[in-house]
Amino acid sequence: MLEAAAITRRFGRTLALDQVDFRAFPGEIHALVGENGAGKSTLINIFAGRLKPDRGEVTLNGGALAPGSAQLALKAGIAAVYQSPMLFERMSWEENLALGGFGAGPSRNDPTGAAGRMRFLSLGGFGAVLSRNDLAGAASRARLLAARLGFELPPTRAPVEHCSIGERVRLEILRALSFDPRVLILDEPTGVLAPAELGAFLETLRRLRADGRIVVIVTHKLAEAIAVADRITVLRHGRVAAVRLAAATSAGELARLMIGGFAVSAMDSGKNSAEAWAGGPAPTVSHGAPSLIVENLTLEGGGRRLLDGVRLRVAAGEIAGVAGVDGNGQRELVEVMAGTRTPAAGVLRVLPNQTTAADRATADNWTIADRQATAGHRSMTVIAQNRDLDGLILDMTLWENLLLARGVRKRFVRRGWLYRARATAFCADLLVRFEIQSAGASSLALTLSGGNRQRLAVARALACEPRVLVVHDVCRGLDLRAAAEVHRRLREFAATGGAVLLISSDLDELLALSTSLYVITRGRLIAVAAGDRNAEQIGLLMSGVGRPGEGERGISLK
Amino acid sequence: MLESFLASTVAMATPILLAALGELIVERSGVLNIGIEGAMLVGAFCGFAVAYYGSSIALGLIAACAAAVALNALLAVLLVNFAVNQVVAGTAIDILALGLTGVFYRRWFGETGSAFTITPMSPIALGPLARIPLIGPVLFDQSALVYLAFVLVPIVAIAISRTRYGLELRAAGERPEAADALGLGVYRLRWQAMMIAGVLSGLAGAYLTMADTNTFVEGVTAGRGYVALSIVIVGRWNAWGVAAAAMLFGGAMALQFGLQAFGTAIPYQFFLALPYALTIAVLAFMGGQADSPSALGEPYIS
Amino acid sequence: MSDTPTERDVPSGSASARVRRVLFATVLRFAAVGRSIAALAIAVAIISIVLLALGASPIAVFADLWQGAFGNWLAATDTLVKSTPLVFTGLAIAVAFQGALWNIGADGQLVMGALAAGAIGPALGGWAHPIAIFAMLAVGAAGGAVWGGFAGWLRARREVNEVISTIMLNFVAAQVLSWAVHGPLMEPSGDYPKSVVIADSAKLAFYLAPSRLNLGMVLALILAVGCHLALFHGEAGLELRALGRSRRASAFFGIPIRRLTVGAMALSGALAGVGGAVQVSAITHRLYETMSPGWGYEAIAVALVARLNPLAIVPAAILFGALDNGSQAMQRADAVSPVLVNVIQGLVIIILIAFDAATARGMRTAFFGALDAAPRSDGPPAEVGDA
Repeated sequence: MLEAAAITRRFGRTLALDQVDFRAFPGEIHALVGENGAGKSTLINIFAGRLKPDRGEVTLNGGALAPGSAQLALKAGIAAVYQSPMLFERMSWEENLALGGFGAGPSRNDPTGAAGRMRFLSLGGFGAVLSRNDLAGAASRARLLAARLGFELPPTRAPVEHCSIGERVRLEILRALSFDPRVLILDEPTGVLAPAELGAFLETLRRLRADGRIVVIVTHKLAEAIAVADRITVLRHGRVAAVRLAAATSAGELARLMIGGFAVSAMDSGKNSAEAWAGGPAPTVSHGAPSLIVENLTLEGGGRRLLDGVRLRVAAGEIAGVAGVDGNGQRELVEVMAGTRTPAAGVLRVLPNQTTAADRATADNWTIADRQATAGHRSMTVIAQNRDLDGLILDMTLWENLLLARGVRKRFVRRGWLYRARATAFCADLLVRFEIQSAGASSLALTLSGGNRQRLAVARALACEPRVLVVHDVCRGLDLRAAAEVHRRLREFAATGGAVLLISSDLDELLALSTSLYVITRGRLIAVAAGDRNAEQIGLLMSGVGRPGEGERGISLK
Repeated sequence: MLESFLASTVAMATPILLAALGELIVERSGVLNIGIEGAMLVGAFCGFAVAYYGSSIALGLIAACAAAVALNALLAVLLVNFAVNQVVAGTAIDILALGLTGVFYRRWFGETGSAFTITPMSPIALGPLARIPLIGPVLFDQSALVYLAFVLVPIVAIAISRTRYGLELRAAGERPEAADALGLGVYRLRWQAMMIAGVLSGLAGAYLTMADTNTFVEGVTAGRGYVALSIVIVGRWNAWGVAAAAMLFGGAMALQFGLQAFGTAIPYQFFLALPYALTIAVLAFMGGQADSPSALGEPYIS
Repeated sequence: MSDTPTERDVPSGSASARVRRVLFATVLRFAAVGRSIAALAIAVAIISIVLLALGASPIAVFADLWQGAFGNWLAATDTLVKSTPLVFTGLAIAVAFQGALWNIGADGQLVMGALAAGAIGPALGGWAHPIAIFAMLAVGAAGGAVWGGFAGWLRARREVNEVISTIMLNFVAAQVLSWAVHGPLMEPSGDYPKSVVIADSAKLAFYLAPSRLNLGMVLALILAVGCHLALFHGEAGLELRALGRSRRASAFFGIPIRRLTVGAMALSGALAGVGGAVQVSAITHRLYETMSPGWGYEAIAVALVARLNPLAIVPAAILFGALDNGSQAMQRADAVSPVLVNVIQGLVIIILIAFDAATARGMRTAFFGALDAAPRSDGPPAEVGDA
């Protein structure tokens, strides 16, 4: 039995997990559900030894698990398969599996879990030169296990990078199973599986359960959770909201438990959830002239369609929200908007505001090709999801970071000369206006806390005075007050004629702000009808189930 | 005459090949080691010095390897444990090596003037094989280190692609985080690779002063370490490719000795510059480094 | 890092949090200088050990170094003269390194600049002095720019690692120079490989004889200021520095990476090339088989000690120039090879980068508490302080 007692974990000052208790029995499939930020991944990382809890303990069959060591967790019998793939892409799948428990090598008999420390004189290290890497043996052992599980393996010697996502997920599971774990943890395993692969996968889980193992599966997909799990733990804001028997609950109830808070009371009282959200009534749909037109945007990569004929129109004054689980094409969409990725097909246009003659004169009507030239950067600004890598340069000062955006830079540059004093003053002013806590305009960006970095990114974007603003997970990691502030600014921006494309995994935010709503799933953009604007429906759309009658995939396997 | 050109090609290629094989192993583990030049240089000097004062080639070879391993150890601390910028660290090691060998050479051997020489390693003829016309003297009448290089190529090739160790090494070079999560020990693997490369670089340097010539001059390596670096790229990170590329560059270097045939029409500097220019040309032609180990050159903290 | 900051009062959260932030920012700024000094100190210590191993007295050696560098007026001015090429090459390295372009080829670029200047020098007899000098410098810059720009182009268009290409080009340049002085540019008497003397109008005069102070040093200073302005007050400089720190973010903001790469490498080469031209014009007055005793490599140490800041290059260059100058005296007095300075250079670089790596993470942790990478799919990203 896997048990966790009073697990607590902070990141900086954010409480990711707060006194979480968890219990899973052998021969059980246990689903862990919750929104982004609820703490699911943090919890399983603690189970798998990748993170140490600040307080609390994990025990497996009564024996306490030494925290913080992935190797010890593996030895104890806990294996995990994560969302971010841990396969070696250029190697063949046989080699990947041989590096797991199938190969006869030191890693299987690792006596002290001394990875990361130098053992270079140990015989175990050099001795391995003399042993063949026994790919054939590993492969045959893998095949045996795969057959038992009903898996299909890729053709011999195929490098992992040529394998489909489904195959990769299966390979990772096989590798995890090669360590013969008592607990198998899967983090969002079905997120990128095709419908055809889904059935086989869920069948596999059933077989694992029959083996007497514990399977913990982290998922957003409520319908699947109910279909395959025995019990479900719902996390919300770092706490256990509820534990339910799958047979005794419904997707709707789970959705309500996941989101909770305002939405719950709002739904119960029949109020518009957006109104219940701090910030006022939802903006009315505007039918102005479109500012942003996206047609048939297609992007391929890694053997699959990352963006599949995306079609979108955002009008001036409109906030178009795009909901979806991370990894369904949002990042690629943002990259195309930013100009760092060229799509295989499609058109992207930002149209000038038609109302004033001045605007029409400076026609900033451009296409994707232009986006990569300098012109496009002035009228559409993008705030990236990963602010530390794509948004800010941490080793540069705040005012320099501000000037990275061309929309801001053009005001302080003349013929190649930077007007530093003016730029610094402008930055200082911006810091005040957006209430960014910093050590001054000339301090380095790395001295800012995460929330303040995000405020800076938003400030910079708005300072560009663009026509279209594309934001991706803009409120991630912000507390309620800071997030409300950002939302207010987005509304102001829209009210003055700007168009916003709001890509987010936070349903509260989307419901509160968006005038029109879309869901992106597997690279396809689906418009959400006005009548479906509630957490339950959207959650179902995000999980790919679709509306009843729209062709629900049969996944009840009990 | 063709015979002597080919024999020279093999002779010139050997130190580069030895060093490149070491670098191949290191780069497969994910480390970009620019300090080969320095390791070769200290190997060349220490090997020579010990052979001279100890009157023993064997001792000299051991000393060469030890010195190069020591230098690589210093670099490994920087590259693996401190995870510093690999280019700057390697270059610093090269400068350091140049300085150290120069200082100690002048101290122990006095200022330039009379050249200090040792009895170099003589070529070992492999019996009847050496008498085969053309390829006999070229392949079977060479120094022991040349034979070592020949033998090492398939050994390294097999070790990397077919042994368990090679698999773990490649894993460290592809995705160190995943390798550590599986308990392989990326630091250990990279350190071991650097040590192996040290031995090979030491031998490569020793060849220059103890087999190819019989004396040490400052800067004797003359950029061969960097050529070895590019050979790994040209050879697409596998041992056979590296061997082929080494022969190519060895040939370019051997052309110097073929000048007599060309008379004075082409200046000798052209031939001296040829290997370096050829390196650039081949690299430019080969374009991208798509076959490089994925994590090559990225500092990694466990 | 930029200089002359303007701190403004920003109303913010708790006083202690604000104090912490300001303290951290200040420490960062001064830590840079402190690290350079500490690195030099440690290098001196290690050198002393090396000297003892050699059987020489560290105190005597350092004393002789100092004597040789600053002992008398002539020595001091010669130190400045020997520092000048280090300023040019140091600037070249600093500019390139700011963009994370590892230009190890400053030597070759300097040589090509010298070669160009030395080639046209003899023909400038009938030209007015200022114009002749300008011509020398211009071709010097051009020669170096071509040499550096080529490597930049190889990187931008063919993904050739610039470390390898610039080093290779060093060797090629050396051979081109050798060929030139043995062949087409060789002076008529033909008994020694050197080129024809440049015309008098192309020579930079010495001032305050018997010192060899010349206007080339003034030029170096001007260029240092110019580079500083370009890097920290110019748009291109901002883009270059951004590129050097984060390629990803630069791509995101549409910074023209390829153009910057070629341009920066060309500029870097031009700076080194001008240095070569100045050497020919002021000091050697002709070409010899070797024109650089390794300034291009020494410049790496200079640039790192100066933390890649053009203005700081000048004092750093003087420091290393002093070492070079003093090493002659050291050789005479203590029989220690002047190549010892290479050891110092190598050690300084190693210590500096080790310091940087060790302290960068340490400082952040000390000020803001443990920095953990949070799991990727949900949970907050790495937080530093409160939101």
